[in-house]
Amino acid sequence: MSTLGISALKVLAALGLMLGNGVVMIYMLRKVLGHLHIRLGPIHVGWKGTLQTVMDVLKLLTKEDVTPRAVDRWLFRLAPAVVFVPSLMAYAALPFSDTWRITNLDSGLLYTFTALSLIPIGILMAGWASANKWSLLGGMRAAAQQIAYEVPLLLSVLPIVMLVGSANLGTIVEAQQGTFLAVLPRWFIVNPLFWPTFLIFVVASLVESNQTPFDMSEAESEIVAGFATEYSAMKFGLLFLSEFSNQFIVSALGVTLFFGGWTLPWLPASVVSALGPVIFLIKTYLGIFVMMWIRGTFPRVRIDQVMQLGWQRLIPISLVWIVFSGIVIKVWS
Amino acid sequence: MSDICEETLGVGLLCEGQHDPGTPPAGLRRAPSGVDGLTTEHLIINMGPQHPSTHGVLRMIVEVDGEEIVAAEVSVGYLHRGIEKLAEHRRYDAVGTLMDRGDYVSGMMGELAFALAAEQLMDVEVPRKAHWLRSLASELNRLASHLVWYGTFGLDTGAMGQFLYAMREREALLDILEALSGQRMMFNYIRPGGVVADMPTGLAEKIRTFLSTFDMYLDEYDQLLGGNEIFQARVKGIGVIDRQMALAFGLTGANLRAAGVDFDIRKARPYAAYPELDFEVPLGSTGDAWDRYTVRMAEMRQSARMISQLIDGMPEGEHTAKVPRIIRPKAGEVYASVESSRGETGIHLLSDGTEHPYRMHYRGPSLYAAQALEEILPGHLIADVVMIIGSTDIMLGELDR
Amino acid sequence: MLPATADIERILAGIDGVQIAEEILGTVARVELAFVPDALGALKAAGYESLVDFDGTDTGEAIEITYRLRSYAADREVFVKATVAYGGTIESVWFDYPSALMPERETAELFGIHLAGHPNPKRLLTSDGVEPLLRKDVLIRTVEEVKAR
Repeated sequence: MSTLGISALKVLAALGLMLGNGVVMIYMLRKVLGHLHIRLGPIHVGWKGTLQTVMDVLKLLTKEDVTPRAVDRWLFRLAPAVVFVPSLMAYAALPFSDTWRITNLDSGLLYTFTALSLIPIGILMAGWASANKWSLLGGMRAAAQQIAYEVPLLLSVLPIVMLVGSANLGTIVEAQQGTFLAVLPRWFIVNPLFWPTFLIFVVASLVESNQTPFDMSEAESEIVAGFATEYSAMKFGLLFLSEFSNQFIVSALGVTLFFGGWTLPWLPASVVSALGPVIFLIKTYLGIFVMMWIRGTFPRVRIDQVMQLGWQRLIPISLVWIVFSGIVIKVWS
Repeated sequence: MSDICEETLGVGLLCEGQHDPGTPPAGLRRAPSGVDGLTTEHLIINMGPQHPSTHGVLRMIVEVDGEEIVAAEVSVGYLHRGIEKLAEHRRYDAVGTLMDRGDYVSGMMGELAFALAAEQLMDVEVPRKAHWLRSLASELNRLASHLVWYGTFGLDTGAMGQFLYAMREREALLDILEALSGQRMMFNYIRPGGVVADMPTGLAEKIRTFLSTFDMYLDEYDQLLGGNEIFQARVKGIGVIDRQMALAFGLTGANLRAAGVDFDIRKARPYAAYPELDFEVPLGSTGDAWDRYTVRMAEMRQSARMISQLIDGMPEGEHTAKVPRIIRPKAGEVYASVESSRGETGIHLLSDGTEHPYRMHYRGPSLYAAQALEEILPGHLIADVVMIIGSTDIMLGELDR
Repeated sequence: MLPATADIERILAGIDGVQIAEEILGTVARVELAFVPDALGALKAAGYESLVDFDGTDTGEAIEITYRLRSYAADREVFVKATVAYGGTIESVWFDYPSALMPERETAELFGIHLAGHPNPKRLLTSDGVEPLLRKDVLIRTVEEVKAR
């Protein structure tokens, strides 16, 4: 098969994963939030309500796609695509196993962050083009907070890059194979040097993926639905699909950077290499579960508090930590 | 007469009248646009009536500079049903149905206020048991109402769990109220002369079962919302209504007590069984949203305490006095007020001796809380607006009547 | 609990035509419309710092407005009443009692009277063109009319 054909298939696979992830996560979100809120979530359509999401997708597809008269038509239509495409691009560098990956990029970590950082442009477009004041506020908030948190997000993971000596996500995973004393996995999360790193990463990635307690840009109790207020039908669906996909990507990044990616130290190498993608997905969805848990429990932070936390706390702390861990790594090795 | 005519957010100008207008509420002053020669424009946003967290159909016209409020006007009337006019065409025993629909989350207190007003003009001695049942119904209803406030306050901060947890307790309370009155929310239980029905058999046990876990759950809820750092960071210090402002704006209830004014109608003008009950009136100090939160949480504990006293000491006897089928009070003018879950619910009643009230005025405490918003909102962020509205616990049903 | 009539008499001594009576309602001070702001100002200065309620009544001849004032320090209440002709004008007292802002608007629109000196004299509850609903000459639909609709 030609290289072009293979590339096309890979893109289709990523698209399939993204759509499948959306379907799984909507169901998961409803069930997890439901049980956290002492209710059941969907139970009627299909076994334990499993077909509910399918029905919802059908509903979104068949709904009337309303374009309000006052909107900037081109931007309004373009915005969901501008949000969707970077979200799809971000799958490219994720290593699902030692062989399963779309592309093996040496700058994989940087690439993924770059792809994620394109999303606010789309959200800002959506907010601006909607000709709705709530949307505008939502778009502005999204832009402000995502710009503010890209910096600490990237700075926070630099110690790992410094230790491994590569920004290739596959190499980072390989550096975490094996165990200490045959019990503790050699995952970076076990290393005390990376605990502050991990905390900053979690906070910044929650902001990046627009999750409670940092879901400023669509805070429904404050600004109605933020940038998505005027969207309906599948345009709305695309915006939310990419939201779920972002959650998957930051969770997958967290797994790759701190929890050993596709590896599981207690299993023999042959099993691990065969089950790599499964282990990776299980870990990722556990991460997503934790994010939903936070979402079901915490109130929302105020926008000025978020900005303060980002600029005044996280950035200086991560800078200091880079210097400190640089010295430690230098002395240690 | 003042020479300066200040432009306001509304249509009015501040230069009419004989008196010096002084300073109007901060919300009605329009702040100048543009800073340092830059031409900027303030955004005027309609918050509501179809906004997720304006607790019904409150509409606020807010002028924002970025996200900061510079002027705010509260616009109400989207739920106006003409209760005061309708009451002039109802018999005395049917006005309770209207009062239920006034403050629809705590209907018992509205009914009680009307019954107290009507009884002042009637030749009737309300039996002791009726007083106790009235207090019991009021306190159960206060708990149900405060739980709704707790839940929606959580929802305003973006925490959905709290709402559903509060609804679980409220469901149990509504079941109890249904057993007591036959209805979940629109009770028409307290009527002039007494109450409609005695406590059914087994209800005391049911209430005891509910109370046995309620305090524990309440502590848990307090931890879940009030114990959360994020929540504290958001409510502490916002929406300060100090003592002076609270008095000037006629606030009552928990909003007034959060500012440190020790005034509770249940203590100051005792009615029903309250003189015989042992309870405390929780007070705040600064009058910010956090104080209003703590006062209401403490009020729930006191209500639970009162309910157990009411169950234990429930007297024997008739649940209602002998009241003629068609009530014709003597002509006169009276005022009765009760401490409802939102503040002082007052009924100004004029009777001309016929079977219909001549005029009934319903004082909703939410109306006074809503106009204080105009004064306190400027200077806060949009995110604070919903928190402040949530903390004042306004109910649009009694605001618009 | 209730204020001594004498106390109110002392506070309102400088105002003409004040009649003070003890009724079932409580202590009622009847004041001429023109002196309402003066009377309320005097009461406020004397510690009646909160206007708790304001409403009107159509007596069949004119509209009677009632201010309910409360002093938390003295734990006392007083009702101040005045009479306005149909279509008359009342002076806003919001500079003494900001809590009168909305009740005044409501009373004005529901009884068809005018407001003077109010910072925001718009309608409160109903939209333009609605009759003054609480006036006795404005009728609601009878049962027959509702059924025939």
